[in-house]
Amino acid sequence: MANIKVNGETVSVDAEDSTPLLWVLREHLGLTGTKYGCGIAQCGACTIHVDGQPVRSCTYPVGALSGEEEITTIEGLSEDGSHPVQQAWVEMDIPQCGFCQPGMIMAVAGLLNNKPDATDEDIDQQITNICRCGTFARVRKGIHLAKTKKA
Amino acid sequence: MKNLKTPQFSRRGFLVSTAGAGVAFSFLAACSPSGETVTEPAMPAGDPEPEVTYEPVKWYTIDNNGIVTVNIIRAEMGQHVGTALARILADELEVDWEKVRINHVDSDPKWGLMVTGGSWSVWQTYPLYSQAGAAGREALIAAAATSMGVAAGDCRAENGSVICGEQSMSYGDIVAAGMEKTFSDSELAAIELKPVSERKLIGKPVKSLDIKEKTDGTAIFGIDAKLDGMVYARPVLPPTRYGSTVNSIDDSAAQSIRGYQQAIAIDDPSGTTSGWVLAIADTYPAAIKAADAIQVDWTPGPGADVSEEDLQARARERLADTSVGAILDTGDVETAAAFDSAETIVDETYTTSTVLHFQMEPVNALAAMNGDVMEIHTGNQWQSLVLPWLASALSMPAEKIVLKTYRLGGGFGRRLNGDYAVPAAIAAKQLGKPVKLVLTREDDSRFDSVRSPSVQRVRLAADADGNVTGMEQHVAAGWPTKAMAPFFMPAGVNGEKFDPFAISGANHWYSVGAHRVRAIENDLANETFRPGWLRSVGPGFTNWALESFMDEAAIALGKDPVEFRLAHLTGEGRQSGSAPNAVGGARRQHEVLRLCAEKAGWGKSLPADTGIGIATSFGQERDMPTWVACAAQVHVDRSTGKVTAEKLTLVADAGTIVDPDGALAQMEGASLWGLSMALHEGTAFEKGEVKDRNLNTYTPLRLQNTPELDITFVESPEVPVGLGEPATTIVGPAIGNAIYQAVGARLRHIPITPQAVKAALDA
Repeated sequence: MANIKVNGETVSVDAEDSTPLLWVLREHLGLTGTKYGCGIAQCGACTIHVDGQPVRSCTYPVGALSGEEEITTIEGLSEDGSHPVQQAWVEMDIPQCGFCQPGMIMAVAGLLNNKPDATDEDIDQQITNICRCGTFARVRKGIHLAKTKKA
Repeated sequence: MKNLKTPQFSRRGFLVSTAGAGVAFSFLAACSPSGETVTEPAMPAGDPEPEVTYEPVKWYTIDNNGIVTVNIIRAEMGQHVGTALARILADELEVDWEKVRINHVDSDPKWGLMVTGGSWSVWQTYPLYSQAGAAGREALIAAAATSMGVAAGDCRAENGSVICGEQSMSYGDIVAAGMEKTFSDSELAAIELKPVSERKLIGKPVKSLDIKEKTDGTAIFGIDAKLDGMVYARPVLPPTRYGSTVNSIDDSAAQSIRGYQQAIAIDDPSGTTSGWVLAIADTYPAAIKAADAIQVDWTPGPGADVSEEDLQARARERLADTSVGAILDTGDVETAAAFDSAETIVDETYTTSTVLHFQMEPVNALAAMNGDVMEIHTGNQWQSLVLPWLASALSMPAEKIVLKTYRLGGGFGRRLNGDYAVPAAIAAKQLGKPVKLVLTREDDSRFDSVRSPSVQRVRLAADADGNVTGMEQHVAAGWPTKAMAPFFMPAGVNGEKFDPFAISGANHWYSVGAHRVRAIENDLANETFRPGWLRSVGPGFTNWALESFMDEAAIALGKDPVEFRLAHLTGEGRQSGSAPNAVGGARRQHEVLRLCAEKAGWGKSLPADTGIGIATSFGQERDMPTWVACAAQVHVDRSTGKVTAEKLTLVADAGTIVDPDGALAQMEGASLWGLSMALHEGTAFEKGEVKDRNLNTYTPLRLQNTPELDITFVESPEVPVGLGEPATTIVGPAIGNAIYQAVGARLRHIPITPQAVKAALDA
C-alpha cells in the first residue's frame, strides 16, 4: 500500500513498488487520459507532472514516490479544460486521433512552466513526443499561441 | 425501410457486390452491459430526451426538439470523419449545425459494408448523405405544407424550419406532429440536390466536433474500455506469423508474479492467430511480466529464417520471370515494338524497405459474452472483414457477434486487419469472463501487418526525336489483399488476379504510348508475414519508383523534370477522364503540378547543396483521383550525408472540399507520414521477424525534423474525393529528386539514410 497525491487528492494504492505509475493511474485510479504508447519513455504519450515537472510515467515506479509529491494528470491540468495549452489546442484544432495529445499537452505545459517564453529551439529540444497523425506543425504554432494565453 | 445502395462507382460496385457474394454475415444488435459505446455528441450532453423521432432513412433521425442525430459507420481515427460526413447531410437537410449530433454506431448488418480506409469515406458517403439529407428536407416540407394548408412548392426549408410565406414551422414541431414518410432507393436516386451556390455548410470553415475531449483526457479509446470482472491478457507470440503450433507451456517462472492467473493456448480454428498463448492476470503490468516469464515450446510455421535480403531476392527473382504476374488494363499494353525500335531506353530499379504502422495506440480488444452475444470493444477499421474470422474462430454465427465502436489511437490501415480481436474473443469465451487483451509496443511491432518491402523495375523507350513511345512498370511486393481479402482481387488483362492496392499508382495518367504495368506477388512475403495496408498502400511505393524515374528519364532525355512531366500530362484518350469522379483527367494533374512548381519557385537559385525536387500523383486510385503535387526543398550535408527537409510545398485538387480545416489537417499528416517513411523509418526482417520493435531503434519523424508546410487546395466544384493518403505518395520521390538537384546523388531506395547519400556522393 502506498499513499500518493494525484490531482490534489491523496489516495491509497495497492501496487508493487516496481509498478510503473502509468498503470497505477490507469488501472487503480481510472485516470485513462494518460496513455500507453511505447513503455520505454520514448513516445511521451504517458507524460504527467510530478511537482510541475514533466515525467514519463511508463517507466516511473510508484515506489519512487514519497507521497508528498503533487502528481498532475491531464484530467487535473485544469478544472474545465481551460489551461492555456488546452485553449490553444482547441483554438487551433490540433488533435487528430488525439491519442498522443494528453501527453503532448502535459509535455508542453511542463515546458511552459519552466520556460514561459519558450523559443523554437527550446521546443525542438524538449517536445520530443511522437504524434503519428502528423500534428507537429500545428503543435509548434499552438505552443507559441499558448504562451499568449492566461489560465 | 429499404437499405440505401452504396454508390455505383465502378470499383466500389465491384467491391461491394463481390463482398456480398463471398462473405455472408448478418448479426443482431445487442445491448452493451457497460454503456461504454462511444457516441460523439456534437454539443455537450444534456439534450432533452426525445419524445418522438423520425427516421427518413437509416442514416439519421430528427427528434421533436429538432435535434438531428447522424449515424456514422466510419471509424474515427483522427480525420474528424463524423464532422465532415454530418456536414454533407446537414447542408442538404437545411438544418442548424448547432442541432447536429454524431453517433458512431456499432457493427450491424443494416449498415452494409463497414470499412474505413482508402481515403474513401467522404467520396463514398457524399452521394448517400446528400440524398439522405435532401430526402428529409423534402419530406418535412411536404408535411409542413399539408399541415399549413399550402402547396409544397410555395415552401422552402431554412435553418431547421419550413417557411411558407408568412408562416413557418420548426422541424421539431413537424416531427412532433407525426412523420411517416420513408424513401425507396429509386425515390432517393431521383431526389434533386441543391445547387452548389446554395451550400451553407460544405466548404465553409467549421471546428471539428471532437476536439475538446481530445484535450482534457475524456476521449475514450479502445485501450481505455473497461468491464466489471475483466482480466488482462498479453500474448506470448509464436516464432512465425502463420502455422506455429504449441507443444508445451511452462509457466513456473510466472507463478510468483503477483496478480498472475494462468496461461492459455489459443485454439483458433480460423487460423488467424495460430500458436498464440495468452498470459492472464489481474493487472496489465502483471500480464506483461508474466508473458516474459512464460516459456513456450513451439513447432514454428513457415518463414522462421527469412531475412529482408531473402525477401528482396525473391522479389527480384519473380520480377525477372516475365511469365508471372498480372498485366493491368492500361490501354495498349504491348510495349515490345516501342522498345525494339527505341533510340533511347531508360531502365532503373527501385526498392523500399519494410515499414511499420507504429500507430500510437497498440492494438487491443476487450471481449465478453453478453447473454448469447459476443461483444468486442475495440477500435477497428474494417468490421465487415473481421466478423467472419471471429465467427469461424468462435464457432459462433456471425449474427451473434458485435463490434462495439471506439475511437482509434491511430489507424493508418493497421486496424483494417482486426486480427487482435480474435484471441481476446476466444479467451473470453473459454474463460467465461471479460478478457482485455493489449499488445505491448514490442508485440504490436512484431506482428504488425507491415508495409511489404518492394522491388520495382521501370523502363521507358524514346524515339530519335526524344518522344516517349513506351513505358513499363513491374512491381513485386507482398499482397495484403491476397492475405486477408482475396475476394477483392480483380483479374488483369491476362486473366491473372492481383492486389489492386499493391499496384495502384503505376497505372498513371501520363500519356506515354504503349504502357505495360505488371503486378507481381512476392510469395515469400505473403508466407512469412501478413502484409498490411499502410497509409496509401501501393501508391506509397509505386510512386517512389515512378516519380523518381520520371526525373531520371527527363534528365536522360535532356529535359527539365517539370516540363517533361507537364508535356506528358496532356489528357488525351484514356487519360481524358470521365464523369463523375475524374472529370478533366490528366489536365487536372497538369494544373496542380504547374501551380506547385510555380509556388515553390522551381528554377530559382538556391544556396549551395540545396535543391528542390518535384513529384506528382493521382493519389490512391484511377477511379477516385486526388490530384496532388509536391515540391520538396532539402539541404544535404555532404560530409555526413544527412538530408534536412526544409520545406514542403503541396498543391491538391480533391474536388469539393467539405471540411476545409479537416482537409488541411489530412494533407499535413499525410505529407509528414510520407516524409517520415522517406527519411526516418524502415526496418528489416531478421529470422522471420522485424528487427525494430520500439522507439529505441525505430525512429519516426519528430517535431524537430518537421519542415515548413505550404499547402494549397485548387478550388473545384467536382465530386469530393479522398485526402487521408494522397499526399503520402509524393513526398518520398520529391525528397529523392531534391537530393539529386542539391548534390547530384541519385537515391533509389527508401528510407534514404545518410550512409546511402554518402555512398551515392562517393560513387
